[in-house]
Amino acid sequence: MSFGISNFLDSLKSAFLYAPVTLKLTFITFVISLILGTIVATVRYYKIPVLSQFFSVFVTVYMGLPTMVALILYNLIFMTFYNDVAKALNINIPITDINPIIIGYFTLILGTTCSISESVRGAFRGISKIQYEAGYSIGLSKVKTLTRIIYPQMVPILLPGLQNSLIGLLKASNLVSAIAVVEIMTGALLPSLLYYSYLEGYVAAALVYWLIGAFIELLAYFAEKNSGKYLKKGTV
Amino acid sequence: MGNYFSFERFIYVFPKIISNVSVNFHIVFWSMLLGTILAVFVAVLRLKRIPVIGQILGVYISFMRGTPLLVQMMIAFYGIPIVFGSLFMNAFGINLNRIEPVIFVEIAIILNEGAFLGEIFRGAITSVPYIQTEAGYSIGMTGAQTFTRIVLPQAFKVAIPHYGVDLVGVFQNTSLVFTLGVVDILGKAKTLGAATGHTLEGYVAATVIYITFSLLLKGAFILIEKKLAD
Amino acid sequence: MIELVGVKKSFGKQEVLRDVSVKVNNGEVVVILGPSGSGKTTFLRCINFLERADSGILKFDGKEIDLKRARKREILDVRRHTAFVFQNYGLFAHKTALQNVMEGLTQVQKKSKAEATKIAEDALKWVGLIDKKDFYPSQLSGGQQQRVGIARAVALKPEVILFDEPTSALDPELVGETLEVIKNVAKMGITMIVVTHEMSFAEDVADRVIFMDGGVVVEEGKPDEIFYKPKEERTRQFLSRIIPQDSYVI
Repeated sequence: MSFGISNFLDSLKSAFLYAPVTLKLTFITFVISLILGTIVATVRYYKIPVLSQFFSVFVTVYMGLPTMVALILYNLIFMTFYNDVAKALNINIPITDINPIIIGYFTLILGTTCSISESVRGAFRGISKIQYEAGYSIGLSKVKTLTRIIYPQMVPILLPGLQNSLIGLLKASNLVSAIAVVEIMTGALLPSLLYYSYLEGYVAAALVYWLIGAFIELLAYFAEKNSGKYLKKGTV
Repeated sequence: MGNYFSFERFIYVFPKIISNVSVNFHIVFWSMLLGTILAVFVAVLRLKRIPVIGQILGVYISFMRGTPLLVQMMIAFYGIPIVFGSLFMNAFGINLNRIEPVIFVEIAIILNEGAFLGEIFRGAITSVPYIQTEAGYSIGMTGAQTFTRIVLPQAFKVAIPHYGVDLVGVFQNTSLVFTLGVVDILGKAKTLGAATGHTLEGYVAATVIYITFSLLLKGAFILIEKKLAD
Repeated sequence: MIELVGVKKSFGKQEVLRDVSVKVNNGEVVVILGPSGSGKTTFLRCINFLERADSGILKFDGKEIDLKRARKREILDVRRHTAFVFQNYGLFAHKTALQNVMEGLTQVQKKSKAEATKIAEDALKWVGLIDKKDFYPSQLSGGQQQRVGIARAVALKPEVILFDEPTSALDPELVGETLEVIKNVAKMGITMIVVTHEMSFAEDVADRVIFMDGGVVVEEGKPDEIFYKPKEERTRQFLSRIIPQDSYVI
């Protein structure tokens, strides 16, 4: 066994070919989780009865569950119960026609929502009470005070955490390879399967992930530069 | 649901699976121990801003943080025997293709932790205000004295919560090792499932075990933090 | 006219307001004085529902509102006809001076952007800060921030402006410029309720002074009456600590 350059280039090409699968999974999950996570955090911040207690227990417990375990469990539950549920609901799509990536979406959204909700809760703590009062005092409603005053002020506080979440999500999306979704890593391995030589595939996959990760960091850098203007002292 | 999930089977597999949690803790223990030592070197070297070494460490950290652990494990598993195989064969008579996969898993996690913990330590050290160092100098301490007696104890307090979160993360990351054939909690659940034809109970057991130990570890660190705060 | 009747408020076991009633006529400037912990700030905050009173009635704008049971709609209505100037300025940290003044005009009063900009610029001109309109609060001095806060309040053309110790967070040399602006607001004929420690300011602008202590109104009257002929012993004690005796040469 050794490292074959041409195998490696084949793997790299194949990895890039499947990069959109990973990118789509990462970004769609991120956007949905950001919205849901903000809602969960807001419900908990305002201590809305029943819901806030439920979320607080759920998030705490759920953060103890590794993504891989959740993924395998949900996949298994899906495989086990799909036929019965589909029959009961008169769905005629055979299980083989369903892309397992939906399990991936479900798992990643649930996990990321929990972790982002914790970041947003932290950001709530970073905003002083007087900002709410100032909003109320000029006659803004509660919702408007949130959307126009509080959430925008959270952006620079949240950015570093969100950048971590996004890169974490990019890496976690790799786990859907365990439920037969072809993404960057499994894509990179396709040529390897022909040659029975895997190292090239994994190195190629690593490179592509690394590149996307660097791109996200670049994006976050510019976002941070632009969003935190109001925090800086000195003249404009 | 009765056909798919039986409580009797759950009770039957649970003790068999939880007994393998020792495999996960073995990985956590060695990875954290050696990873912490590596991380101290990484942090101190990065803070010294030595040319070339600083850049190399920057690339190393960026790679470890930017690529999935599963891919890193696989590269360790397939790559180390290729790169170091003949060296180890000739020098020590060890065939790297024969050693247990758990070793490669641990190497991958140690390297990973060197980067993650390294950044945590570096952040903690830089978080101590410079006036603390100046105060140390002002009473006649040497640079080394100031670092070990004034800066480090304060940095330690800052690092502890992050260290706890990281440790729970490493425990959760052990959920990947079954993909390399290591028989940990998930690996055991998988083999039991293959043997009995009933997989769900085993994975539910693994879920319960993971959540319980994660929360216990997290709780332990909160206690440590509280102790340190007093 | 704005009138509060029987306002009570406790924080836990501590009774901060025990039955406070105050009536303020249109265009009147009322200054509330009192030692810290007397409940004067809490009283002011209850008017704007920043604090929920335990009981009491607010008569305002031809309506009677139960301070404890007020509905969302009623609260919003009160807030839209009053403005509040905070001790710590309370500017929106992520908005420039101009945007701070515009926010209520566009979002609450639904004015067009052009109109809101015009009003906001006029207001900033009026407090002498038009050259700072694109500055963020973090780039302004305390006195400048407070003047933007006053501009924000005035621009909304409220019926009443509530001032909560508007100068007590300022460095001494910045107090003057801010008080000057508040005096100008008083000249406009807007109804004002001002909680402050600035005696000379109270003497200059107040139509009436209310002295509060221990959660009740101890005494009220014209500034000269309160300052020079206080009826109550508690008022006398308070004033003797605040007004430097030797500054009056007879």
